[in-house]
Amino acid sequence: MSEAKGKELSVLGVEELIGEVHEKEVQVIAFRLNDELVGVPIEQVIEITNNRDLTPVPKAPSFVIGVMNLRGKIVPVINLKEHLRIPSEIPEDIYQRNKIVILETPKGEVGVIVDEIVGSVKFPESDVLPEPIGTIGIDVKFISGVVQLDRELLILLNVESIFNQEE
Amino acid sequence: MKVEIPEELQEILEEFLVEAEEILENLDQDLVDLESNPEDKELLNKIFRGMHTLKGGAGFLNLTPVVEIAHRIEDIFNKLRNDELKLTPEIMDVILEGIDKLKEALQMLKESQELPDMEEIEGLLSQLDVVLKGESPVSVEGSTENSSTHSPEAQREELEFVDGISDKLKELIKQFPDKDLAGILEEIILMPPDKRPMDVIPEIEKLIEEGKDVKDLIKKKEPSGGEGEKQPPSQKSETPPVAASEITINSAEKTPVSKQKTSKKQEKKSSETIRVDVERVENLMNLVGEIVLDRNRILRVTQDVEKECRGEAVEKLVEAVTSLDRTVSDLQVAVMKLRMQPIKKIFSKFPRLVRDLARKLNKKVQLIIEGEDTELDRSILDKLEDPLIHLVRNALDHGIEPPEERVAKGKPEVGTIRLFAYHEGDHIVVGIQDDGRGIDPEKVKKKAIEKGLITPEQAAQMSDKEAYELIFLPGFSTADKVSDVSGRGVGMDVVASTIHSLRGSIEIDSEPGKGTTILLKLPLTVAIIRTLMLGCNGQVYAVPLHSVVEIVRYQEEQVKEVGSFKSFMLRDEVLPLFSLNELLEVPDNNHKAFVVIVKVGEKLIAVSIERLFGEEEIVIKSLGELLSDIPGIAGATIAGDGRVVLILDLNSLLADYKTKLIGVKR
Repeated sequence: MSEAKGKELSVLGVEELIGEVHEKEVQVIAFRLNDELVGVPIEQVIEITNNRDLTPVPKAPSFVIGVMNLRGKIVPVINLKEHLRIPSEIPEDIYQRNKIVILETPKGEVGVIVDEIVGSVKFPESDVLPEPIGTIGIDVKFISGVVQLDRELLILLNVESIFNQEE
Repeated sequence: MKVEIPEELQEILEEFLVEAEEILENLDQDLVDLESNPEDKELLNKIFRGMHTLKGGAGFLNLTPVVEIAHRIEDIFNKLRNDELKLTPEIMDVILEGIDKLKEALQMLKESQELPDMEEIEGLLSQLDVVLKGESPVSVEGSTENSSTHSPEAQREELEFVDGISDKLKELIKQFPDKDLAGILEEIILMPPDKRPMDVIPEIEKLIEEGKDVKDLIKKKEPSGGEGEKQPPSQKSETPPVAASEITINSAEKTPVSKQKTSKKQEKKSSETIRVDVERVENLMNLVGEIVLDRNRILRVTQDVEKECRGEAVEKLVEAVTSLDRTVSDLQVAVMKLRMQPIKKIFSKFPRLVRDLARKLNKKVQLIIEGEDTELDRSILDKLEDPLIHLVRNALDHGIEPPEERVAKGKPEVGTIRLFAYHEGDHIVVGIQDDGRGIDPEKVKKKAIEKGLITPEQAAQMSDKEAYELIFLPGFSTADKVSDVSGRGVGMDVVASTIHSLRGSIEIDSEPGKGTTILLKLPLTVAIIRTLMLGCNGQVYAVPLHSVVEIVRYQEEQVKEVGSFKSFMLRDEVLPLFSLNELLEVPDNNHKAFVVIVKVGEKLIAVSIERLFGEEEIVIKSLGELLSDIPGIAGATIAGDGRVVLILDLNSLLADYKTKLIGVKR
């Protein structure tokens, strides 16, 4: 699946932003949730899709938007904003506008709806800083660190802790 | 004792464990058979070979305790098959103890890479030694003269050793005096091709397969030959088996002769099988599922194409698609069969279980097993074992009366438990029948009221069948005292929930004083099911067809409001009515078209729906861990158009309402 990743990205018109190679590098897929720029390590991103065929699941927790067919596999798609408890309004046209990032999580493959895909970002591992408490709307336990990019702050999400929490 | 298995032997260890497990599993059945038929040479040989294989494998891996036990049991069976030893129930007990220890050791090995310490098995070993020494009347001289008086069967076997061997093989044995058969085979392979005696190879292979080796062959030819061991078969006595045991096992009233036939057939079969990791089969199954879905999609598109355009190419396409359709169906069946295993795999454990239990409870029981070749999906098979054990235990413990009581009631002294399986349509039925006390519905109701599971008013309205259902409720036990036999952890409620989770159903039929029959109806496979596709709130849902009793058109005048509930008049019956929307907690526009009548336990319930799309065969997929415990959603499938369709589990959707319906706490 990982070989397909690169192809998939270019198909979706995503470009790499920063490309300098230093020591140990971290590469993340960056996207927007509301105004925040957040990133997930590329190893945990299975693909980005704009599949719009979501089947709602009755009686499921409210953050579950539905399930989709990912090449024969059933993958739940969730509203990451609600899951992270940051304010969110599901827009009427959620199925048309937003992109779905499929993540590899401790609970299997899970799709998360994001507002906008920013692209792939590379930076040296040493650039990752601990999160300054209280400055961002996301609970610290869901964050593995922040990175100061040229213009803004990139929040690195901790996929394990997000999906291991008790519902 | 910790066992260190080097990395490179790990694979061999795993293979050994699988093989050993198989051998021991078959052994249980064989040993109990043997008890009722202790002179069965074929059976003795089979057990001997099994032990031999086990010992060999364990020896290679240096599993000393296993080798020591297996070795002694092998020796005992060697004496048994050469009539140097007579099987008594006491000897059998020691052997069974040995087998149990072997099982225990292998289980330990599998789970924690450990084996029992030698001190732990010392007692057992010396017991086995006593059996070996104490009861082995060896008559050395007698053997040669007596050989003419052997039973024809035994004689043939002896002669085969000597006469059956080709001159070429004899030459080879002389040529390589210190090699065993496998060694000789290797030598042959190393010879230059033109000198290679090709025709001997199958002969040697056959001998090895029969568990024989060079010494078995030379000995008869040269009785003075170097090997210390000898196998003098003493005269075969015509006295019938020991038969002190209370248990007779007959496999569907088949005579031992026919049983031997089947076992022969199986032996032949097993040499043509390969072991495949379950995961690979599972993977294959998934891929076939994909193809099935793709085929459905292609079929749909082809139909559209056919409607829209005409021409030679379209005709050819239709032709090709039709052929593909057929092949895929065959493929689906073929792959499904890969996962099918005969129910024998678990049935074979019961003779031993019943024997031990009957002894413990001082009851006399015969177990009849029928339809053990009935095949079903492995994943169902695996989950079926515990419920079955529990039901058989119950039958023995609560059902079958003690011998005195039976005689007093004018029943045969020996109780009968029948364990059977057969196909019925696209279901398999597994049943347990006993001729014991039966279930007293009034007693059950009384108990349920005492335990606060139902109210006296409810009890009065209950039919016998509904009363039987009560025994599947958590916290219910009809035995006056809980013995360690049936009162072990799993209750009938676990049995019921396991069967329901497999999309099966349970039926109880009982007649006080005559006995009880419990039927488990199970789907043939868990992967593919027939469903009814229905619509509600703009979505399509699939409902497993097995729970649907009937579909009728929705008619306003048939609906009655009773208190806060609605009911539906079906002919002269009044059924509780729910709308699918309310069950799923989705918006309802009250625009109903059909009513689906479903069976929940013994009750019929009406569910109104908005649209009906018809029947479809679907491949079940899991919703993933994140959504694994959503009540009422059993899984999902991918429809012909690529969209995900949820599979509803009406049983659990209605579970909340059930409390009010039958007044029972779940």
